[in-house]
Amino acid sequence: MNTPEVHIKAVNVAKSVKVTDGSLTILHDISLTINRGESVAIVGASGSGKSTLLSLLAGLDTPTQGEVFLGQQPLHRLSEDERAGIRAANVGFVFQSFLLLPSLTALENITLPAELAGVKDARSRGLDLLLQVGLSERADFFPAQLSGGEQQRVAIARAFITQPAVLFADEPSANLDAATGQKIEDLLFKLNAEQGTTLVLVTHNNDLADRCQRQYQMQAGRFLDINTQGIADVG
Amino acid sequence: MWASIAWRLFWRELRRGELWVIAFALFLAVGSVVSLSGITQGVQSALMQRSAQFTAADKVLRSSQPFNMELIAQAEQFNVQSARQMQFDSMLFASDMMQLATIKAVDDAYPLRGTLELKQSDNISVGEQAQLRPGYLYLEARLFDLLKLTVGDSLELGMSNFIVGGVIVNEPDAPLSVFGGAPRVLMHIDDVAATQIVQPGSRIAYRYLFAGENADLAQFEAQVEPQLSVHQRWQKMDRESAIGSALERAERFLLLAGLLGIVLAACAAAVAASRYAQRHTKAVAVIKALGATTAQIRLIYGSHLLLVVLFSLLCGVIAGQLAVSGAQLGIQQYLTDYRAEFSWRPLWLGCLTGLVCATLFAARPMWRLANTAAIEVLKQPETQFVLDKLQLITGALAIWGLMWLFSGELVLSIGLFLLCAVFAALLMVTAATLVKLTKPASAGQSSAGKLALANLRRRLWANSFQLITFSLAIFLALLLYFLRAELIGQWQRQIPQGAPNHFLVNITEQQRSILNDFAQTHQITLDKYYPVVRGRLLSINDEKLQQESSKEDRSEQRVGIGRELNLTWLAALPENNQVTSGSWFSADAQAQVSIESELAQRLDISLGDNLAFSIGGQQLSASVSSIRKVDWNSLQPNFYMILSPDLLAEFPATYITAFYLEAGREQLLNQLARLMPTVTVISVDNIIKQVNGIIDQVTIALSFILVIICFAAGLVLVAQVQATLEQREQELAILRTLGARYAFLRNALVLEFAMLGAMAGVFATVLAEAMLLIVQQRVFNLPFTLHYTLWWLGPLLGVILVTTLGWWQLKRLLRIPGAQLMRRVLQG
Repeated sequence: MNTPEVHIKAVNVAKSVKVTDGSLTILHDISLTINRGESVAIVGASGSGKSTLLSLLAGLDTPTQGEVFLGQQPLHRLSEDERAGIRAANVGFVFQSFLLLPSLTALENITLPAELAGVKDARSRGLDLLLQVGLSERADFFPAQLSGGEQQRVAIARAFITQPAVLFADEPSANLDAATGQKIEDLLFKLNAEQGTTLVLVTHNNDLADRCQRQYQMQAGRFLDINTQGIADVG
Repeated sequence: MWASIAWRLFWRELRRGELWVIAFALFLAVGSVVSLSGITQGVQSALMQRSAQFTAADKVLRSSQPFNMELIAQAEQFNVQSARQMQFDSMLFASDMMQLATIKAVDDAYPLRGTLELKQSDNISVGEQAQLRPGYLYLEARLFDLLKLTVGDSLELGMSNFIVGGVIVNEPDAPLSVFGGAPRVLMHIDDVAATQIVQPGSRIAYRYLFAGENADLAQFEAQVEPQLSVHQRWQKMDRESAIGSALERAERFLLLAGLLGIVLAACAAAVAASRYAQRHTKAVAVIKALGATTAQIRLIYGSHLLLVVLFSLLCGVIAGQLAVSGAQLGIQQYLTDYRAEFSWRPLWLGCLTGLVCATLFAARPMWRLANTAAIEVLKQPETQFVLDKLQLITGALAIWGLMWLFSGELVLSIGLFLLCAVFAALLMVTAATLVKLTKPASAGQSSAGKLALANLRRRLWANSFQLITFSLAIFLALLLYFLRAELIGQWQRQIPQGAPNHFLVNITEQQRSILNDFAQTHQITLDKYYPVVRGRLLSINDEKLQQESSKEDRSEQRVGIGRELNLTWLAALPENNQVTSGSWFSADAQAQVSIESELAQRLDISLGDNLAFSIGGQQLSASVSSIRKVDWNSLQPNFYMILSPDLLAEFPATYITAFYLEAGREQLLNQLARLMPTVTVISVDNIIKQVNGIIDQVTIALSFILVIICFAAGLVLVAQVQATLEQREQELAILRTLGARYAFLRNALVLEFAMLGAMAGVFATVLAEAMLLIVQQRVFNLPFTLHYTLWWLGPLLGVILVTTLGWWQLKRLLRIPGAQLMRRVLQG
């Protein structure tokens, strides 16, 4: 049996922010490893630090202490632009509030990361993804002309266009009604399975978390315990 | 790849309308500079044209040597028109009478600017633009009485006989000074040789008159300059005359108007750029999270700015030029000489201003925008208007740089800038303190009032910054309005109602009683009598003066005074005179002299120096006991030298006095001339008429510039309110959702802007009053008086202006249904 390849690794990570009367520690001594192709949920109540942890693992921010590796890349030592380069090549994002650029069409929003990475067939990839998320007729619509569910589907297509090695999703269905949320989650796990992407998902929704292979439970900036479930059926 | 993203985003942003705000601000900056500079230049040029009419040319070259025809030929090569003029004093003989006169001989081209009006009799006019005929002399009106002549009579000048051709009604380059000296005569230059007056050693003033396009004249002047001998020099604008001084003030004022307009445009650019950057922070964070580097963002948004700047420059230049051409039609009605000449200067000034505003105001927010961290993607967007300190510094530097560029005066620009900076700092602190202090007082107020105050408090620093721009705009409007009133008032004071319009010169001691009787009979009020003794300044501290150095500009321009000065003695300091150093004569002053400050400076005379005079062949000396500043605009008899009474009292003197004569009573002047033929009557009515004409035209020009500036100020205020739109939208959505009624929100909004406007109005009033204090004391030399109107007009203007503009822009937000508003806010 092959040893699983470690894709993401955090060692003794802490994060503090400056506040008016000193500093506030949001994360305390966090260590984790996520293997390639694995799906992991970080679960916790609002303010438990799960989004902060996601930002560190994705290289959006750097820790105050500790080390974070994405593949072989030590994110904690890299500059903002070096991390941007790694994100462009390896990382996809799905955000709670979709975060589409209002002045670009659905297709243009999807192709944006590919164009930034210099991918030549960005448009055909984009159209293909639009088809996969069921919005091929909405290619030229602007975000304001789309419903919340449609916007999140565009965001998911955008996340997969560069065929990222790892996908970070921050409460992907929190802003949607239950039925739409369910469809979005299905789509996310479907594409993830098809592309073999490592998935790191932040949520306070236990049902959604249960669909991941493993869960990290967070409270007040610390892991409560590590639940290593068997591989869920994501089909 | 970034280029296609940049281009796509640019067009979409244009469609969304956000980039238009920044483009419009830059367009405004460029357009107002091009139009203001173009129109100001046009008006200045028109005023110079007007002034050229008083010198009958655009440029005058004076010489003591006969004409050099080579110069005339060179002028032709540069498309510059030329005319020749000679001037000398000589005696006129008519039958058994004679009179000293100033003769001016001119050629056919005279005058190059302005009009020469001659009249043959009361019924027959030679008409405007009259030309002088050889063989004829044209005389000033008083010569007809003095020599008992009528048109057609014969007259001798030198060795020639002439016929009296007519009366001089208007001679464009007649001396403006009230003491014109001897009566004036015009003749054709071709007749001069026959009179044999011009002999070696004769005192003849030769003048070359030139006129043409500014550029041609400048080239010609540059070509000729090295060829000029010590006897030839360009005549400077007569700064001493009422008109010269009025023009100088007009120049300063127009410059100031242009300078202040730029500050407004710069503020608009800064606010619009900050708003644009702030609105795009989230988008940049998203793009960065998706893998864009800072350099890519910089290229994307930098190219947006570049396209906006290029577009704004182009539109600004075109609109500015159109405004200049459009203004030409309006201004021409009042300033007949105004013509919108194409000039590169307004264009490059406009473009430079646009670039300075773009780089030092707009580029900074764009730079910051590119530095947005990717982590911002997970944070709440900032809707508060954030004041960037570095942008404030670069913006301030840009304002100062533009002030310097526009004024061309380092000291003036530093002074003005420091004043504005101190004002801004004071305003920020005072505004913040005031808003903070409103908390306890607000407890008893209506809930709409509370909300308005809460809004003011919450946007404390942003409001303070807005206050500065609001205050600046109101301040500019107030300043321009009151400065204009001040300027006009000053000119009107210069020519008060009933001011003496006729001067009597050369009155003997015996004639004083005859004149007093005459005045009493005809109900004329005579001014005081000034004794006059004519004398020459021989030496200063025994150092003999050379002919050239003692012959200073002013005395040459005062034709008739020549090398001799009018000396007077007075026990009391005359009105319009101010002792700047030393002290006025005491009751027992012995052998002292008081000297006019500019002459003292020119001849390097200081207190205690010993001056020697020659009067009627006798020499006397006096020590300088005081130096005086003289108001040459007062249209009162003024003297360079006033001696203590002990020195001159024994010399035979003549007297000068003045009186006001209503229109229609001019026949009294003839009676007076017959009664006292040796007394010279000088009328200043024409000068007053000319000055009044210029005042009218300058007033119209200034009003035009005031309108442009107020328009620019209004647009800046609009940009300011626009900057807070997103935040207000969010707040309104919440309040509407919580059940706030329309009337409540409307009242809160109106109250908020009214309070802001009132504060801005009060600040603007304080600054305008301070600026007027400086202007009154430094420019007009007047004692400071409070402008009471300002104190209610300023705050009222602030309330009306800010409330109206605020309401106008935000009323549509109030009318949007709550649910729709909330959806807009949620969608960002």
